[in-house]
Amino acid sequence: MAEEKEKCIELTGIVKKYFIGTENELVALNNVNIDIYKGEFVAVVGASGSGKSTLMNIIGALDRPTEGGYILDGIDVAKADDDELSEIRNKKIGFVFQTYNLIAKTNALKNVEMPMLYAGVPGKKRVERAQELLKLVGMGDRMKHLPEELSGGQKQRVAIARAMSNDPSIILADEPTGALDSKTGRLVMDIFHKLHDEQGKTVILITHSPELAEETERIISLKDGQITGIRQGAGRPKETAKETKQDQPEQPAETSEGNEE
Amino acid sequence: MLFLENIRLALSSLKANKMRSLLTMLGIIIGIASVIAIMTVGNSLTASMNDSMLSMGANNVDVYLMTKETEDEVTEEGHTFKADSGNPSIEDEDLISKEMIDNYVETYPEEIMAISVSEQVGGGSISIDKKTASVTLQGESAGYFAANNVKLLAGRAFTAQEMEDGRMLGIISSKASDKLFESYEDAVGQTVSVSMDSKDIAVTVIGVYEDTSAATGVISISFDFLNSASVLHIPFKAARSLTHSEGYSHFSVVTKPGVNPDDFAAKTKSFFKSYYKHNRKLDVDAMSMASLVETMSGMLDKITTAISVIAGIALLVGGIGVMNIMLVSITERTREIGTRKALGAPNSSIRTQFIVEAVIICLIGGMIGVSLGLGLGSLAAKLMQTPASPSLKSILGSLFFSMGIGIFFGYYPANKAAKMDPIEALRYE
Repeated sequence: MAEEKEKCIELTGIVKKYFIGTENELVALNNVNIDIYKGEFVAVVGASGSGKSTLMNIIGALDRPTEGGYILDGIDVAKADDDELSEIRNKKIGFVFQTYNLIAKTNALKNVEMPMLYAGVPGKKRVERAQELLKLVGMGDRMKHLPEELSGGQKQRVAIARAMSNDPSIILADEPTGALDSKTGRLVMDIFHKLHDEQGKTVILITHSPELAEETERIISLKDGQITGIRQGAGRPKETAKETKQDQPEQPAETSEGNEE
Repeated sequence: MLFLENIRLALSSLKANKMRSLLTMLGIIIGIASVIAIMTVGNSLTASMNDSMLSMGANNVDVYLMTKETEDEVTEEGHTFKADSGNPSIEDEDLISKEMIDNYVETYPEEIMAISVSEQVGGGSISIDKKTASVTLQGESAGYFAANNVKLLAGRAFTAQEMEDGRMLGIISSKASDKLFESYEDAVGQTVSVSMDSKDIAVTVIGVYEDTSAATGVISISFDFLNSASVLHIPFKAARSLTHSEGYSHFSVVTKPGVNPDDFAAKTKSFFKSYYKHNRKLDVDAMSMASLVETMSGMLDKITTAISVIAGIALLVGGIGVMNIMLVSITERTREIGTRKALGAPNSSIRTQFIVEAVIICLIGGMIGVSLGLGLGSLAAKLMQTPASPSLKSILGSLFFSMGIGIFFGYYPANKAAKMDPIEALRYE
C-alpha cells in the first residue's frame, strides 16, 4: 500500500565521510539508498557506530552528504545552502530528541511557539496553534510550566508538540523514549502512533530497541554505514491502540534525567 | 515581532544571572556615570560663568598689573582681580597713576565709554544685636556700577557729589541685608559699624544691590566657600581715605558699542607698555571679558576632555567585560543554540539574539549610569552652588553610545554562536 503513495524522502547513493583526505578517513555512510513515502511510520535501527546518527543528521537537514542525492518533498536538500537548510528544518521537519532539548527558563507554551517564531507566524495565531498542540499531547493544563517543573514524559510531550508546530511533513524522533521509563515511554510512543494514524504524519523513529522498532510499519537496519535489511514491522500493538486517554496525571517521580547521555 | 521576542529573551537571561549581569554592567555604569556627571557640572559651570561674566559686561576690558615675564614667574596669579593687596612687592610708584589713566582716556575718546576702578579696603564684619554678616569693603568709581550691571533693590546709588566728597556711604548686598535687617527698605538709612582688624568704620547704608553671587562663576564660588563675605560698596574716595594709597593696580574699561573689545585690549596693552618699559618688575596686561570667558571655558573643556578619556577607558574595559560574559553565556547555552538551529533558526536570528542581549546589558548599564551620573552631577553642582544643567544631548548620546558598545563587543560572540555547527552544538554537554 505504501508503494502507491508519493515519495516523501528519496535518498540515493548517500555517502558521508569524515576527516576526508587524512589518514583516519572515516566512512560513516556508504551508498545508502532509501525511499520513504508520505504517511509512513519507519524505524531506523542499528547499534551505536552503525551510522544511524549520521543518517538522522542528513535526513534532518542538519548535515549535507559527501556524495549522493537527497530529495525531500521535491526539494534538493543535498545542494541547499545554510539558510535554505534552516528553512527546511523549520518547515519540513519536526525534531524530537532523546534529551528533549526544551529551552530552559521558557515555559511550555513559548517552547512550542518557538519554531513558529522563526517561521514568522503572527503572534495570536502562534499562541492559538501552540495551545491546540499542547492540548493534543495532553499538556493543556501545564502550558505555563517551565521545563524544570515538568517530568521527563511531560517534557517529551511538550517537545513533540513543538516538533508539530509548523505542521512539518516528517517527524524525526531520535531515541525519544531513551531517557524515559517503560510506562512513560509507552505514553510517548502512543502519541507518535496517534499522529501517524490520525494526522497521517510521516514518522521516522531512530532507535536501538527492537521492540519499539517492531511497532512501526517498516524497519530499516543499519550496520557499518550500510543498509543490511529492510522489512515490514508488526505495527501498533493492539492493546494500546484503543487507549486514547493520555491526560492521566503523571507522578513527578518518573523522571529519569540521570540517564541522559 | 522576532525583535521583541529577542528583548524578552535577553531580559529573562539577565534575570537568571542577576549578580553576573550587574558586575558586567559595572564598567559601563562607571564610564557613563562619570561622563554624565562631568557634563552636568561642566555645563552648569560654563553657563553660570558666561552669565556672570557677560552680566559684568561683554564689552569690558580689564587692565591690570602683572609681574614681568622675564622674571619667569608669570602664573595665573597675575590674572587675579583686585590684587593690589595681594602683592607686597608693589610699591606706590609702580602703580598705574591717575595721570596715566587720564592720558589713556584722552587718547581713545572714541572707544572708551567709562572707566571703573575699585579699591579693596579689606574684610570685616557687621554686627547688629546678635546678627552678624561678613563684608568686604570696596571702593568704587562712578563707572563701576555701569560696568558691572549692578541692580539696586532698594535705596539709591551714590550721587556725583557724594563720590567727590568721599563720604562713608555704603551700598550693601542683598545677602548681608537679609542677615541683618528685616527688609531691604529697613536697611536703607541705617548706620552700621564695620569692624576691621584694628578699627571700626561707620558706614551709612543708602542702598541695597542684588547679590547674584549664588549663581555666578568660579571666582565667587571660591569666595563663597571660604567665607560668605559679600561686597559692601563705598565711594572710591572714601576707600582711598582708608587705604592712603595712590595709583591703581587694576581697572576696568567699558568700551563704546561697536568697538571690538579684543582689539581694544591689544591697543590698551601697547599704550601702557610705554610707561612700564623701564620698570623691572611690572608690566600691564589687558584682557577683554569675552576672551576671559573663552580662557575659562577652554580650561573647563580641557578638564572635560581629560575625564572623558578616563570614562572612555572605563567604557572600553566595560565593553570587553560584556564580550567576555557573552562568550561565557554562549558556551553555557551551546545546547540551546543547537536546538534553536535544529528547529529552524537561521544564523542571522541567532546572531541577532545575542547582539540584542549584549545591547540590552549595555543599555541597562547605560541607564543606571545616566541616573547615577545625574545624581552625582546635581550633588556636585549643589555643593558649588550652581544650578545643575544636565544636557539632554549628552544623555541621549550616552545611551546611544552604550548601545554601540553592545553592538561592537557583542558582535564577535554572537557571530561565534551563529556559526556553530548544529550537530556539534546539540551534542555539547
